[in-house]
Amino acid sequence: MGTKRIRENRRNFFKSTIALIGGVITYSLIKPIEVFAQAKEEESKEDTSNLPLWGMGVDIESCVGCGKCVEACKIENNVPKEPFYFRTWVEQYTVKNDGEVKIESPNGGIGGLKQSVPSKDIFKSFMVPKLCNHCSEAPCVQACPVGATFISPDGVVLVDESYCIGCSYCIQACPYGARFMNPFTKVADKCTFCYHRITKGLDPACVEVCPTDARIFGDLRDKKSDLVKFLQKNQTQLLKPHLNTHSRVFYHGISSEVK
Amino acid sequence: MSKLIFRLFFSFLVFVGVFILIQNYLTPSSFGKYGHYRADAIEEAKVITPYFKGEEKCASCHQDIYDLKYSDLHSEVRCESCHPPKITAATECEILPPIIEGSIEFCGQCHAINAGRLKKGVPQLDIEEHEGSQNCIECHNSHAPWELKE
Amino acid sequence: MEEHFQHLYQALSQVDGYIYPNEIDLHWGLMIVLYPYITGLVAGAFILASLERVFNVKVLKPTYGIALLTALAFLLVATLPLVSHLQHPLRSYEIFMTPNPTSAMAIFGFVYLWYLMAVLLLEIWFDYRLDFVIWSKKSTGFKKLFYKIITLGINDTDEKSAKLDDKLGYFITVLGIPSAFILHGYVGFIFGSIKANPWWSTVLMPVIFLFSAMVSGIALVMVIYMVVSWVRKVKINMLCLDTIAKYLFYILIIDFTLESLDQIHRLYEAEESFNIIKVLVAGKLNITLIFIQILLGTIIPLLIMGLFQVYKPSEKIRKAAYLLVGILVLIGVFFMRWNVVIGGQLFSKSLSGFTSFKAVYSGMEGYFMTAVWLILPLLILTFLLWLMPPWNKVTSYQD
Repeated sequence: MGTKRIRENRRNFFKSTIALIGGVITYSLIKPIEVFAQAKEEESKEDTSNLPLWGMGVDIESCVGCGKCVEACKIENNVPKEPFYFRTWVEQYTVKNDGEVKIESPNGGIGGLKQSVPSKDIFKSFMVPKLCNHCSEAPCVQACPVGATFISPDGVVLVDESYCIGCSYCIQACPYGARFMNPFTKVADKCTFCYHRITKGLDPACVEVCPTDARIFGDLRDKKSDLVKFLQKNQTQLLKPHLNTHSRVFYHGISSEVK
Repeated sequence: MSKLIFRLFFSFLVFVGVFILIQNYLTPSSFGKYGHYRADAIEEAKVITPYFKGEEKCASCHQDIYDLKYSDLHSEVRCESCHPPKITAATECEILPPIIEGSIEFCGQCHAINAGRLKKGVPQLDIEEHEGSQNCIECHNSHAPWELKE
Repeated sequence: MEEHFQHLYQALSQVDGYIYPNEIDLHWGLMIVLYPYITGLVAGAFILASLERVFNVKVLKPTYGIALLTALAFLLVATLPLVSHLQHPLRSYEIFMTPNPTSAMAIFGFVYLWYLMAVLLLEIWFDYRLDFVIWSKKSTGFKKLFYKIITLGINDTDEKSAKLDDKLGYFITVLGIPSAFILHGYVGFIFGSIKANPWWSTVLMPVIFLFSAMVSGIALVMVIYMVVSWVRKVKINMLCLDTIAKYLFYILIIDFTLESLDQIHRLYEAEESFNIIKVLVAGKLNITLIFIQILLGTIIPLLIMGLFQVYKPSEKIRKAAYLLVGILVLIGVFFMRWNVVIGGQLFSKSLSGFTSFKAVYSGMEGYFMTAVWLILPLLILTFLLWLMPPWNKVTSYQD
């Protein structure tokens, strides 16, 4: 009699446990689907075509390599001052008469780029500002193991500083060298197009300070924006197009030497 | 036979179940709202206070200098290109005015001769040849560069 | 922090050509070299164990238990270098909570868990269950308690249960072979899938990683078998050792062929990145790649073992040679990981310059931690061999 009761108790216990676990599993199986369903619903509700789609044009023909943008970026975004951490930087390419290409970017170009090649050897020279290309097929976002870097609905690649585990995989995945490990926050750091500025109607700091308007920032969806006009007027090119990153930083007047 | 397999399978189920419970509990609430990330992170990225204020803010006190600059060659150059905010003390420019020296090195950031700067509409000078050791602003009014002093 | 900056300023002064300014800091150091190395040892040791069980290579029986325990000892440590390399190690749980389905790294946690819990622990358990029951009656103290718990209350010792253990163990091993392949092929994919880095981005990377893993795991078990026999003062089964060496020889040939194929393919296609890779191999990697990995780690072992296939010297010489070969192969494979991980970061993604790498002694990424992560699994293995000695097993799977 007693054993039977124990057995029944045990059976009931197992039954309820299995029911509980089964419930959790079923719930967890449904939950992701639910998330997808929700996401779809929200997408249709929250039409992203109302949102801006941020992008930048860089006019090589205007850039004089003064480095103001690099300095401003470091001030605006609290980027460490040491010369190993840059959200943006300016490179000077100098093609010599013998065909050799010299690329320089001492301290990212802060304080103005200085020509180190004697002028008699120079075939041509130009400046190339670099920054995160805000790829729409971003390799860094693909690589992040936890979802701490992402493309925001308005097209900016951001890092979630309170979620990044600091594995550096995104830095390895970025073909443009645009990411670095911030030694103070210990998370991956990169250009945000000054997300805190552009969402308040301001220009990114680098665009704000550029004395020659070599950087053109704007909304790719707004047909009247400076950026769209720039893209309509000029022939532009992406960096490393063979990697199929579909970036949203467009270079005008770029030469084949640019890496 | 059934006992062994049942126990193993049961432990496996318990393990998976506990894992899923923990996962549900530890996933941030806004995760997955727009995509595989924390949707709140977008808002968090917006809350930083901008240091660079833009020309309108500068002109609100210095309308005269702004007008002068606007009428001359440096019209395209923004105020904060040369006067970046000094952020060590505060973000308001009254507390720590962003005054600059206008030294040759400073102006040379744009105007020192460099093969990469030619034909871009920015005058290029051999700064070593050009009047030696004086600061540029001793002769030039930086807000209207062709207006020479004295 | 200051020390780190000093280190970087020094690296900055040694930059050769042009590199992107953010590339001066090498983000992946010794810990990431260790991670594929240790994981590879696990996969290799497991495959050796499975070889004899699934493919019924009976001469390898003396190493079966050792190989399994070696795999377990190293697998327990495998993730620690990864976690200690993270800038935010306390957030590492996120990789299980919100794994990004498109990330090659995210699924590793699950592959690892699957391999540890569903394959390795189960296989060892099925192999030892009967012994645990018997040992739990004989021994005292901690061991008794451990055996009691680990049997999970199943105390059957009859013929039928032994048969079942054997059948299930076999099933798990069969399941385990693809799992081991996935585990390490997957580690290769973490590197092979980075399209930004031409030194890593090759389809062959997972396969190369897999075969070099097998090479290193087999060499490790060979060395451990010799050392354990020497410590226990028992005679080494020469037939077994010769057979392991034979497998090592064959797999090393495949590994070397694949690696050569990869390099020849690069050389012949001579894509955009070839110019910089040529300089990398001839310059920064000449010692670690050409001398250590290829000459010491591959060619010399191949020559020695190749010679033994046609001419067998005395046992004493063979033993010494196998020990040497095992150690050389282990060093060679370590430097293969080094050349992939460090080599891939030495040249700039602008393909026009190099940075330099100088490992430090202290800190989470230093030599000291490297030594810790390499010695710890050996201590665990010693403990496991003491706790569940494979040579004391009363039973083994059915022949």
